Amino acid sequence: MIGKEKLFAKLEKILAQSKADQTEIVFIGSESALTRYANSYIHQNVAENNYRIYFRSIAGNRVGVASTNSLLTDDLKTTLDNSLAIARTQPENPHFPGLPKPAKYKELNTFNDATAATSPRDRAKIVRRIIAQAAKKKFIMAGALSTSTDEIVILNSRGVRAYQPTTVCSVNMIAMSATSSGYASATSRNIAEIDFDRLAVQAVNKCERSQNPREIKPGDYEVLLEPPAIAEMLEWLNYVSFNCKPYQQGTSFLSGKIGKKLTSSQITLYDNALDDHSLAFPFDFEGVPKKKVFFLEKGIARGVVYDSVTAHKEKVKPTGHTLTPESANEGALGFNIFMAPGKVKRERMIAGIKKGILVTRFHYLNGYIDPRNAVLTGMTRDGTFLVENGEIVCGLKNLRFTDSFLRAFDSVIAISKEVERHDSWWSAVGCMTIPAVHLGSFRFSGKTDF
Amino acid sequence: MKDKLIECIDWLRGKGVNYADCRFVRREKEALRVADTHVESFSRDLNAGVGIRVLFDGAWGFAATALLTPAQLKKTAGQALQIARASTLTKHEPVKLAEQEAFVDHYRSDCKKDPFEVPTEDKINLLMQVTELLRKSKKIKTAEASMDFYRTNKLFISTEGAEIEQDIIESGGGFYAVAFQANEAQRRSYPNSFGGDFTTRGYEFIEELRFLDHAERVREEAIALLKASPCPSKETTIIISAPQMALQVHESCGHPTELDRVLGTEISLAGGSFLTLDKLNQLKYGSDIVNITADATVPGGLGTFGYDDEGVKAQRNPLVRNGLFVGYLTSRETAPVINQCSNGTMRADGWNRLPIIRMTNINLEPGEWEIKDLIADTKDGIYFDLNKSWSIDDRRLNFQFGVEVAWEIKNGVLGRMFKNATYTGITPAFWNSCDAICNKNHWHVWGVPNCGKGEPMQIMHVAHGASPARFRNIKVGVSK
Repeated sequence: MIGKEKLFAKLEKILAQSKADQTEIVFIGSESALTRYANSYIHQNVAENNYRIYFRSIAGNRVGVASTNSLLTDDLKTTLDNSLAIARTQPENPHFPGLPKPAKYKELNTFNDATAATSPRDRAKIVRRIIAQAAKKKFIMAGALSTSTDEIVILNSRGVRAYQPTTVCSVNMIAMSATSSGYASATSRNIAEIDFDRLAVQAVNKCERSQNPREIKPGDYEVLLEPPAIAEMLEWLNYVSFNCKPYQQGTSFLSGKIGKKLTSSQITLYDNALDDHSLAFPFDFEGVPKKKVFFLEKGIARGVVYDSVTAHKEKVKPTGHTLTPESANEGALGFNIFMAPGKVKRERMIAGIKKGILVTRFHYLNGYIDPRNAVLTGMTRDGTFLVENGEIVCGLKNLRFTDSFLRAFDSVIAISKEVERHDSWWSAVGCMTIPAVHLGSFRFSGKTDF
Repeated sequence: MKDKLIECIDWLRGKGVNYADCRFVRREKEALRVADTHVESFSRDLNAGVGIRVLFDGAWGFAATALLTPAQLKKTAGQALQIARASTLTKHEPVKLAEQEAFVDHYRSDCKKDPFEVPTEDKINLLMQVTELLRKSKKIKTAEASMDFYRTNKLFISTEGAEIEQDIIESGGGFYAVAFQANEAQRRSYPNSFGGDFTTRGYEFIEELRFLDHAERVREEAIALLKASPCPSKETTIIISAPQMALQVHESCGHPTELDRVLGTEISLAGGSFLTLDKLNQLKYGSDIVNITADATVPGGLGTFGYDDEGVKAQRNPLVRNGLFVGYLTSRETAPVINQCSNGTMRADGWNRLPIIRMTNINLEPGEWEIKDLIADTKDGIYFDLNKSWSIDDRRLNFQFGVEVAWEIKNGVLGRMFKNATYTGITPAFWNSCDAICNKNHWHVWGVPNCGKGEPMQIMHVAHGASPARFRNIKVGVSK
């Protein structure tokens, strides 16, 4: 940790030397560590101390970006100058609206001392406990436990001054027998909030119950999708549909559909980085305050997230979802997606299934097949079960699904009251917050051999 | 820098480590994106740091820092040692490394025209001309063109005496158009989807791609897709184009031959492999004409280098010979499991990542057919071109791949166009159904700059030599 005062003191001095019409500096400092285990021992154990400093210089409407990971004053000044030189080589960009003005940010406590102080030995001891739960059943355990501390700073020549320190702890674990596997995961700003033993037992139980899986014919089934499975689906939809860029290109399932009913009225999907139930974060990577954005509200298409450039194109206000400067061409993404919970207790959901399939998670999803119709494909993994008359009967060999999210989520039977957090693409600034969902119809298109 | 790294290595040696290496990496990147009529983004990045890997008491530790003072490097070495000590808490068997010659060398990739010296205006003008050509129809909603260039300097020092420096230039680019009408949007790309094609060469590669010669075709095919029929659902013969074959090799041969996956150490993210140890030299992976080679020495390949990030010299090895599965991609830690030495595939995505087993250039060796003869020889089938979607299970058996465009083949002639086409299969059954591979005239090494693996995530640059190939009795489309 460098600290707010030192960072601003250093970066203000560099900013003052800019000769551009407008200038922005984005600083991301990170101390991260990850302990990875497989076959019930730690096989990869890493730590990193790194920085990203992005300079965005504006000359007229021309934008240049240069970045470095060096904190040396000379290197920072050279990178600043490079960004202006890049801007000057370009034609005018009519879509660039200028840098944002100063704004007020919601005060959020996103830093936890215990997470920041976690040592390699602390992580190894936790991993040893996780492995021990699997050993009780003679299973092996694989997974990863990470802790990280980040400082994010945005400042620009129009007066934006934003600083936020964060911590995150994430864990995933897969218990494995000769014929089965079971998964559990969690993420939190506070390592003490994660019940590693309970998660390990959960993974072990799934592994135990899915041993000697049976084969089932692909086809249309009722399903209970657990939160990790839905999080995987939403991660893809976030990229190919909730993002302003595909929306404006016309490839999003929301393009031209705003105001139309697309799924069951039980489905509400939104991004809200200011909600503490997520890993909250107050601003985006150009210092625009985060806003709550609905994608689907009671099944009706509502909108997408924007950065300032795409918002300017459409003459709407940016929503606070700009990515880091080198990713400007990717559009904007939701960092903190929620699916609204339902009314059914999670433990009672299986009781509502006459014959169906419980899916713990998916593997290697893809959403590019037909994004206008929100078609996704992927494989089940680490705990797929046959459910009959409200009870788990046995584990199933893994299945491929290929289905439209819109079609499948038009058949919602129930949504759980409880929600879980799952890692998003960058946990320092957000996560998914997701319930379990019981669908009446879900199309499995293929099967595999295990 | 070399003296600083040697100092770290000496300090670690004094601490009684079994082994240690220090890796300095300095990487420059330039990325240009033109969208429609304007430069959407133009960025340059400079990233440098040192990663230190320590094997102590048979367990690994790794620490990396962007701060390059001698004091910070020594602190980082100490951190790596502390992490290795923590790893011993769950140790089973001590890690043992395969024997390895300690090379002292300097490798440079071939570059005729330094892309960082080409005037920026020239690059932007070319990309602007491409998008202008693509946008000559109102049905094109979006046109984008891009180039990416990398210059990497690496220095590797180990406790065994290796001192290896490498300088590698990488260049690549491509473009795409999205056609839109009514409720339909379709994309077409050149020379490959998702960013184009990449090499370890200079700007001469961009010039050879001749973007302007292909823009009109790409535009018209994107528009034609708007009216194309959906791909039917059936079992049929398929011919797969060279760039799509590259993806096929990547997913269904490259990844499952990674020995770390086979041994279970990638389970938590990417999964395992169906190519378990009992299958080596036993499994008929493909038909007799299928030969797949890992070759880190192919001139210009994006997976070409002098030495891997364990100091093992780049080499060429068969993975599948005449259809028989005969080899894995290995490291110094994993190779002894199969009584071999490392075949040099350990690479890290920068100074701040641990080297893990990565594909190099994984190549489907060329066969004997001319593409026109192969199509003429196909009575009833579908031709699949350029990847659009990819999905495969966590042991790399069940896959489903989608393409940008497909064409019906009837009586040896390409016919009507299909949109949203997919094909699916189980890996060994699929490769055993291969009955024809096109010759070297149609063979090209396709650069893949976005292969993800590992935790923390590492994005690796790899490549695949491939030519079009034919497969029988393949399920296409997705039945309702």
